[in-house]
Amino acid sequence: MKKSVAVLLVVAIVALGIFSLSGVASAEEIKMVGVITKIDIAGKDAKTATATLKDNKTEKLVVITINDDLTLDKFKDHRIVEGDEIRCKYEVIDGKNVSKLFRKTAGC
Amino acid sequence: MKRTVTIASALLAVLWGAGTWGAEHPGKSQIEKDGYKGPATCEECHPGKTKEFLGTVHWKHASKVDNVDNLDPKKEYGMKNRIYTMCNGNDVVNNLKEIPKNADGKSKFTGCNTCHPGDHLNDVGSTGPAAENAIDCLVCHSTDYDFRQRKPFKNEQGQVVMGQDRSTKAALAIGKPTVKNCMVCHETAGGGVLVKRGFIFSKDTDAHAAKGMVCVDCHKTKNHKIPTGFDPNNWANDGLRVACGDCHGDKPHKSADYNRHTAKIACQTCHIPRTGGAVAKDFTVWEKGSDGFYEPTTLKKEANETVPVYAWYNKTVRNEPHFIGPKGSRKDGKSKIYPFKIYMGKAFYDKKTGQLLSMDFAPPMANGNTRAGVESAARTLGMKDPAAVAKNAVPGWQTIYFGSNHLVTKAKALNCINCHGVNGVFNFKELGYTDAEIKKLTNPEIYFNQLIEKQKEDW
Repeated sequence: MKKSVAVLLVVAIVALGIFSLSGVASAEEIKMVGVITKIDIAGKDAKTATATLKDNKTEKLVVITINDDLTLDKFKDHRIVEGDEIRCKYEVIDGKNVSKLFRKTAGC
Repeated sequence: MKRTVTIASALLAVLWGAGTWGAEHPGKSQIEKDGYKGPATCEECHPGKTKEFLGTVHWKHASKVDNVDNLDPKKEYGMKNRIYTMCNGNDVVNNLKEIPKNADGKSKFTGCNTCHPGDHLNDVGSTGPAAENAIDCLVCHSTDYDFRQRKPFKNEQGQVVMGQDRSTKAALAIGKPTVKNCMVCHETAGGGVLVKRGFIFSKDTDAHAAKGMVCVDCHKTKNHKIPTGFDPNNWANDGLRVACGDCHGDKPHKSADYNRHTAKIACQTCHIPRTGGAVAKDFTVWEKGSDGFYEPTTLKKEANETVPVYAWYNKTVRNEPHFIGPKGSRKDGKSKIYPFKIYMGKAFYDKKTGQLLSMDFAPPMANGNTRAGVESAARTLGMKDPAAVAKNAVPGWQTIYFGSNHLVTKAKALNCINCHGVNGVFNFKELGYTDAEIKKLTNPEIYFNQLIEKQKEDW
């Protein structure tokens, strides 16, 4: 009886841990400011693109997936180009850093 | 039957033809054959349009202004020469140029008139054949503009020139300006994306955009003159005005109770319940960015993240060194209650006159020295002893009321209880109502029956 209770307890704790971790991973919005080192977009009709940003704080390269039409359009007509500094929010979805906000820091 | 089908076919053909004409600008084959040669190509079918454009606010960045205090009615005002704390520089003192090198030995081109649709050699307010030929028609009219071409560079004479995409490819994609054409400049005004206005014109944020409308559907352009509203902060105008009532009339609601409000409550008050963008900016202290250049310190919010302030407005403007905002009152017979985005900017004031000083951004952008920027601007403006002006300049805050005219919503519009509830959005006291009136205005008696009916409809 004692053993069964212990096993159940362990299972419950592990399940809770996995559940809470996965919950955090899917909901967490990560913010960063960085400079674009590379943009990959497949032509004028592309519905997705990736941009590699060099994080200003960590200097690590982060690959961001962009799906929103407004930003894709800015890649296509080169309003956003390599070398631009970007303020970005993204979420990790299925292992990809999916952009929720992708804006140049500079203005006029 | 046959006749009906024939008529229907003919009608369809006409409609299809109209749609095609609307989608594709005529003269494509001619442009393909001859190539695009700048405004001269446009003039072949639109004679006189380049000259006409030189007389507009988009080229002059200024106009005479007749609804703002403390201005000379004979002079023109606008981005060209205004001194205020959203853009502490202007086209005159902060002209597009190559700034001094920063500590890393890097320089860059920057200036207020970067968005001006000329080539910078023919700049804000210039006239004559060279100016006409310098107009960048395609930046507003092409949907296939390559913005890699629209960069400043130095020519052989060392002059700063703004590049343009004058390719035939871009010219073949001309038409009525799209939202993108307008937002190329208007979304990055004030030092960053959505900083100044704090709105994005998209289907998610604006009821008109959700209907597929574009900017020029409301800002109906006439001879390149673009109508504007009466934003207390936006002075220059082409003499044409736009208002919600132009399309929606005086009685836009089914409810007579709502329609009664339109005499005293602006449409924006209920239909634009949120605002966004820059809240405050400090031009006296600039922060160093990762690229080694400095920028003014700015506190900003996203679209729809902040709430407006409400005030009576009769479309005339109080303009003082520490305040730019609406004039009006409950009793002047002209005012309505409007929503405003409040912005506060800190900048330097002249110790002797108390007037707000402007700034050339080149020095502080390179090394953070904001007083050097004030000195440079004072020199450009011909002020006496610019060094002393800058040394003695006193930091201070200016409050600006921005008109809140976008982010229009129908679904999330304010209803009775949002204003007439005891904790409603209006400060009735500040709006000039007595305690007895407030008691009446915030009593459920005023809205109870109507909202009960609505509740029944909803459920």
